[in-house]
Amino acid sequence: MLDSPPPTAVRRRLRQGRDRLATALITAGGIGVIAALLAIGIFLAVEVVPLFWPSGGSSAISPEALWGGGEGAGEAADEASRHRWAPTASLTPGEAPRISLAPLAWGTLEAAAWALAIAVPLALGAAAHSSLFMSRRLRSRLKPTLELMEALPGVVVGFVAGLVLAPWVERHLAEVFACLVLLVPGLLLAGGLRSRLSARWREALPLGWAGLWLVPWLVLVLAASVWLAPWLEALAFDGDLRRFLELHLGLDIAVRNALIVGAAMGFAVMPSIYALAEDALSGVPASLAEGAQALGATRWQTLWKVVLPAASPGIFSAVMIGAGRAVGETMIVLMASGNAALMTLNPLDGLRSLAATIAIELPEAGPGGVHYQLLLLAALALFVFTFLVNTLAELVRTRLRRRYQRLGGGS
Amino acid sequence: MREASTRRLRLPRGEGAGAWLCAGSVALSLLALLALLALLTVRGLGHFWPSPVELVVLEDGRQLAGERVREVPLAQGDGVERLYRTGNRDLDGDRWAWVRVSAIDAVSHPADLVVLERRRWGQAIGRLAAFEAASGERIEGEAAWTALESRLDELGALRDARDRLREEVILPLAARRGGEGSAESELTAAHGRLRELQAAMAGGRLILAAADGDSLSVPLEQVLGARRPNAMSTLDRLAAWGEGVWRFLSEGPRAANTAGGVWPAIFGTVLMVMLMSILVTPFGVLAAIYLNEVAHQGRLTRLVRIAVRNLAGVPSIVYGVFGLGVFVYGIGGRLDSWFFESALPSPTFGTGGLLWASLTLALLTLPVVIVATEEGLARIPDQQREGALALGATRLEMLTRVVLPMAAPAMLTGVILAVARAAGEVAPLMLVGVAKLAPQVPVDGDFPFLHLERKFMHLGYHIFDAAFHGGDVQAAMPLVYATALLLVLVILVLNLTAIFLRHHLSTRHGALTRR
Repeated sequence: MLDSPPPTAVRRRLRQGRDRLATALITAGGIGVIAALLAIGIFLAVEVVPLFWPSGGSSAISPEALWGGGEGAGEAADEASRHRWAPTASLTPGEAPRISLAPLAWGTLEAAAWALAIAVPLALGAAAHSSLFMSRRLRSRLKPTLELMEALPGVVVGFVAGLVLAPWVERHLAEVFACLVLLVPGLLLAGGLRSRLSARWREALPLGWAGLWLVPWLVLVLAASVWLAPWLEALAFDGDLRRFLELHLGLDIAVRNALIVGAAMGFAVMPSIYALAEDALSGVPASLAEGAQALGATRWQTLWKVVLPAASPGIFSAVMIGAGRAVGETMIVLMASGNAALMTLNPLDGLRSLAATIAIELPEAGPGGVHYQLLLLAALALFVFTFLVNTLAELVRTRLRRRYQRLGGGS
Repeated sequence: MREASTRRLRLPRGEGAGAWLCAGSVALSLLALLALLALLTVRGLGHFWPSPVELVVLEDGRQLAGERVREVPLAQGDGVERLYRTGNRDLDGDRWAWVRVSAIDAVSHPADLVVLERRRWGQAIGRLAAFEAASGERIEGEAAWTALESRLDELGALRDARDRLREEVILPLAARRGGEGSAESELTAAHGRLRELQAAMAGGRLILAAADGDSLSVPLEQVLGARRPNAMSTLDRLAAWGEGVWRFLSEGPRAANTAGGVWPAIFGTVLMVMLMSILVTPFGVLAAIYLNEVAHQGRLTRLVRIAVRNLAGVPSIVYGVFGLGVFVYGIGGRLDSWFFESALPSPTFGTGGLLWASLTLALLTLPVVIVATEEGLARIPDQQREGALALGATRLEMLTRVVLPMAAPAMLTGVILAVARAAGEVAPLMLVGVAKLAPQVPVDGDFPFLHLERKFMHLGYHIFDAAFHGGDVQAAMPLVYATALLLVLVILVLNLTAIFLRHHLSTRHGALTRR
């Protein structure tokens, strides 16, 4: 039966020795790799320490300088010059260096906020439709397609946003406004018109496949909006939207502004939020949704009143992960935002984010200098923020999974 | 019984407005994706299709010849302007011309308009007035065009022969020089042949008559290609399109990124990605095996797993900062002071380069590989492992002979996803080693053949640089579109492969057995 001689004691000890050696090597390698990953945070923290506790002759930077910044010697500086980021600007003697990180942080948060404002409704709507209304076949094809959307490099999205979309939007403000205004009525019109069609047509255009056949309808709606735009502009804005914005709202329009960045980053971040939200919505135990429908609720009512509240932690964590990605995105902001370190509420003004500043200025900052350390501080802030947000999201998701098991009774 | 509520109860008809808005979100996202891909394809591939050249006669009698680019409504609202790409930058000072459509008298497509691609001044458009051969003979009329075409073919062949001679004979001989008498004489003979070739290529020029009456004299060694777009049939255009695409993929950038191709960027990207995958695969698989098979599955391991997953979400610029601080300034500076002191203060390894870029991107994509491999390892049923152990295998044998082969597709998926991510990341590379225009590729014939300290070019950075730091962004745009299309295609293909692999995996092994 045996086709090899029974192992001798020496051979057995060799095998066991090799096994122990391999286990030790794997352990060492595994721990080493993980330590290298965690060393990123440690490195950033260590490099930033001399900013606040300097060892040499330089003076420590106070946290007030980093947030307020730019105070003149003895005089109360006006609001406009307080929050300035200009670390390499030449200074008159006695003037404090303008190293306020506030405009950069503001820019980062503004860009992320606009990105989420665009991405979250789109992603949640798509996730709701995909988990509850969409046909199974379409859903299995849609998920990989949206995953591919996530894989699009930020350079390409930023290039299209900054060099194609931004100039076009600036020239065609009225058309963009018309499209935004007429989009929702156009979609509702699709539902309304469809309900008036004959039964055969309604069968050919089911809600389950609406994600696909609404695409040509949307093209029609957008074309109609572009055609109606001059009329709409004359009606609402006395014929010139741009002048209206400047005169009545005092909004100055930059070609590359926060809205363009928001739209581009929203497009880039939407697939991540969609994937996680869809997982959360589909993971709700079927018994809950079926129970609601058995009591007479429509699918939309089920979604709104039963499924969404049950999955809300998962959706929350999806949005948080999306926020983490939006905060860290560099290339899109670099190419589409104009890189002006402003702190305004005007969405049509430029902005400058922490990540973009690091990318532009770090190669020129000499290692060990104050500028270098400030940029490392910005990198540390980004690292800590995204790490915390992701950890929180992961913890919330774990709790959600346990809650589903309790709710569904292991279904 | 609540009569009032049943009377007031209205059963909803249809699904309600909300459902249609949700469906609209899906459609809007799909539309945005399709629009982006369509834009890149049309503008990117359309650039290589030889477009017809128009001869425009204006009201005031001026003439200009050029390719129509686009029309833009005038700011004052009265009329439309058209942009023509007229070339002839050395004659007119600019290669573009804006023309009011209302001022155009007549537009024609004469078949004898010639478009020249030149080495230094870009495109030139005009009529071929005369062709002067090296012998001084002057040909005019239709025969000039045929003579030009045959001479350009000859020049192409001579150029190839000269390049081959240089690379295969002269450079190795020159490297071997230093004490060998036979090498010296061979070198002299080779130089003589080179001089003959260069003499054969010299001379000859053509006279181009531009549309506005000026004439341009172009020496033949400046001419890279000539065509008559209006006289080309569809088949000719298709061939020219194919040739344009091939030249784009195989040549280097020219004329400040407004012409030429992206071959060095493709080469740099591929080389860096290969180096990165060599670095990331063993370490990622090792860490995943440790986490999944060797480590005690307690709370600490779960925390570590969460931490590794979160590192996949850390912004890529932070990895770039880490690479710059630790690899470039830290380790690179030390290497310079230990081994390359003679070259200081000009840094060898103390500045960005291929090695540091690959290391940084390997660190960036390590969590991706770890997560993907762990998913694969978790799918393998415990019975397989226990069976191997029950038959007397040591843990190492169980790992190498049972578990790893079964997890191989998952490892491959992880590596493919890592490669796809690294091909698209630009932000960390801006800090650790990409160059706008690298004078040499990192691989060449001198020892040690792979120069890890050299800077390299990258497709993604090329897009950023050409679009933002170029002088004439208008002229560089078509090439930027083409580069963006290439990058997107590469990444899409890689991701599709990973998706297929993952789908194949999940149907093979079923649900996860261990979380």
